[in-house]
Amino acid sequence: MARITLENITKKYKDKTALDNLSLDVLDNEFFVLFGPAGAGKTTLLKTIAGIEFPQEGLVRIDGAIVNLIEPMYRNVSMVFENYALYPHKNVYDNIASPMRSKLYRKDEAYIKEQVLRVTKMMRIDELLDRKPSQLSNGQRQRVALGRCLVRTPNVFLMDEPLAHLDAKLRHFMRGELKEMQSAFNSTTIYVTHDYMEAMSLADRIAILNSGHIEQLGTSLEMYYTPRNEFVARLFGEPEINIFSGEVEEASGQLGITALGQETIMPVEPDVAAVLRSGNHKRVHIGIRGADITFSFAEKLGWIRGSVYTNEPIGNKVIMVVDVKGTHIYLVAPNDTKAEIDKPVYISMNMKDAILFSAESAEYIIRHDARNVSRRRGANKAVG
Amino acid sequence: MAQLKLERVYKRYVNSDKSFFKKAKQNDYAVENLSFTCYDGEFVGILGPSGCGKTTTLRMIAGLEEITGGDIYIGETRINNLLPKDRNIGLAFEDYALYPPLTVYENLAFNMRAKNRSDSEIKRAIDYVAPLLKVEELLRMKPPALSGGQKQRVNIARAIVRRPGLLLLDEPLSHLDGKMRQQLRHEIKRMHHEIKCTTIIVTHDQMEAMSLSDRIVIMKDGNLQQMGEPIEVYDNPANEFVAGFIGEPPMNLLSSVISRADGAFLFTFPESELRVEVPKRYYDALSDGQRVTLGVRPVDVVVAKTPTKGSSVPIAIYENLGDERRVSVRVGDSLLNMTTSEDVWYERGEMVQLEFKAEKTHLFDPETGNRIVSRKEGS
Repeated sequence: MARITLENITKKYKDKTALDNLSLDVLDNEFFVLFGPAGAGKTTLLKTIAGIEFPQEGLVRIDGAIVNLIEPMYRNVSMVFENYALYPHKNVYDNIASPMRSKLYRKDEAYIKEQVLRVTKMMRIDELLDRKPSQLSNGQRQRVALGRCLVRTPNVFLMDEPLAHLDAKLRHFMRGELKEMQSAFNSTTIYVTHDYMEAMSLADRIAILNSGHIEQLGTSLEMYYTPRNEFVARLFGEPEINIFSGEVEEASGQLGITALGQETIMPVEPDVAAVLRSGNHKRVHIGIRGADITFSFAEKLGWIRGSVYTNEPIGNKVIMVVDVKGTHIYLVAPNDTKAEIDKPVYISMNMKDAILFSAESAEYIIRHDARNVSRRRGANKAVG
Repeated sequence: MAQLKLERVYKRYVNSDKSFFKKAKQNDYAVENLSFTCYDGEFVGILGPSGCGKTTTLRMIAGLEEITGGDIYIGETRINNLLPKDRNIGLAFEDYALYPPLTVYENLAFNMRAKNRSDSEIKRAIDYVAPLLKVEELLRMKPPALSGGQKQRVNIARAIVRRPGLLLLDEPLSHLDGKMRQQLRHEIKRMHHEIKCTTIIVTHDQMEAMSLSDRIVIMKDGNLQQMGEPIEVYDNPANEFVAGFIGEPPMNLLSSVISRADGAFLFTFPESELRVEVPKRYYDALSDGQRVTLGVRPVDVVVAKTPTKGSSVPIAIYENLGDERRVSVRVGDSLLNMTTSEDVWYERGEMVQLEFKAEKTHLFDPETGNRIVSRKEGS
């Protein structure tokens, strides 16, 4: 159990900067997720904490102590790799026991047995103890790798995309399993992923990494409802959030937005209007998620006319792409929706659900009721 | 343009004496008694896990594999003995197989040049096809300069440039990353809408098959499992395999024993306290103590708002994924998952009662995997 602090870390591979003056503070016992696209520096950051990579600048602290010059084995971290890295000649029991048989962290066999049984029971692999890795399925191997990581109580668990190699069905299943055991981990965990569902599901807090720096740090709901910029907004949700430009207009004292080549002014809420006014925003980017757009095949007054670009049934819902004067709007429709390609369709969106970004910098400006939507936990508990 | 018809098609690979490896089951058919029809202009997906015989089927249609038994017709013509080049088929594989030294234009023109078509005719054909797959801008480039998605566009454009009667696509999107895959899926769908060419796509990705196809053929171990519209195979899977294969997140499939109490049937589960009411429409098909496999999609399990005859169970997992929330309870060793787009919040350990949406609850025979239908439905 420990607090992990990074101060102004810079890591370069020759000319390429992998981590750029990055600072981070992971609290004791926190489940912390590093999330971002490939090449963002997620794995480098993890290796820097583990001591496998050495930063050119900056300090790595474990519980306040500077560990830059401490060898990995003395840092007391436990790591699980994307490609499992199990010992092929050892059975499941011995693989999981191996960290406790190392010179430094040696335990007696009775204790080892107790711990291996505890962790294999938790991972539901307690019936596979005498199997070799080659006799296991991918999902089972993954559990063994996780089990070997979790069997100790180190300063910190470091998990590098542990579910990335599994197929979609198994990955979702394992994510659930991991979520269920999470509370039994009993140590700080830093988890790297490029899957937004893993990040949202597992994290106490998320750091979004992009080309070596942190784009945003916060809870999953903050990221989803109030992303700091368009880059972050696009990372969360399926289908990807719609982002298109709009003009701020004023009609009879009421502030609103026009977009997609329409005449109609879509009114905004007073809290949004105040921010738009004070910031003197004329052009904005509107971010709105597919589930927040309604549609109709019958003509509706004031709705935006477009045509069906494609209509994709994917089981429990239909993803419809609507072409409005060359802009493609993705929306989520009920699963029995049938729509002929190029057929006219009318859509309506409520600016209450929109996230507004600056047209120049793509940075977050405002969304209606931002504080409440991103911290809804208490409110919902009362309802549910 | 043409209708494609397969009648009782069989395929067995006969290994020569010199074969280096022995197949575990020499006599198994790669494709067994396969019959289906794609109507003129239809888009049909052949879907299944690896080794189900879907690519073998495509290769038999294309003429790249001999047909062990049965007949394949394109229109009225039996094509079993026609050479591939005489079948009027366009083919695009997962690998692009473009000619690297030739420009995109020349790649598209290649087949027509081989058939001595005039330059003006070739140009007309390419001018028509290029915008459909958005390759107009690429015509002067050479394949090494193209991205994977662009190469696949060119590959598909080349397959349709001669306007074949039948277009065959073998996993055309498998090599592409998420975003590119989505885009190309849209282009393929729109291209088909435009030229209305009878098209068959082979894929192992159920979402791809669902989103592109008018109808889907689902195969397993060389056998047809079900053929139907996407919504049909999703809502009314013919058997347990189809139920588990179609849909993401996957359908919950749980072994259950039916028990009768107070005039109501309940699902009970081994090593679990969970009890859930059986939808009334199944009452005439069930008996006390019967073993069934229960299938219900995560979106069709709900937390009961009013008390039911079932039992309360603790929530094992709650995940807020932004677009939706996933909630699971333990049923013995397995998880029963629910998905909802409603804005709900649960604590782990909170006690809830569950309900299955009656019309969306499926029962399967645990021995055969076949669907159990109520008598009303069956008649």
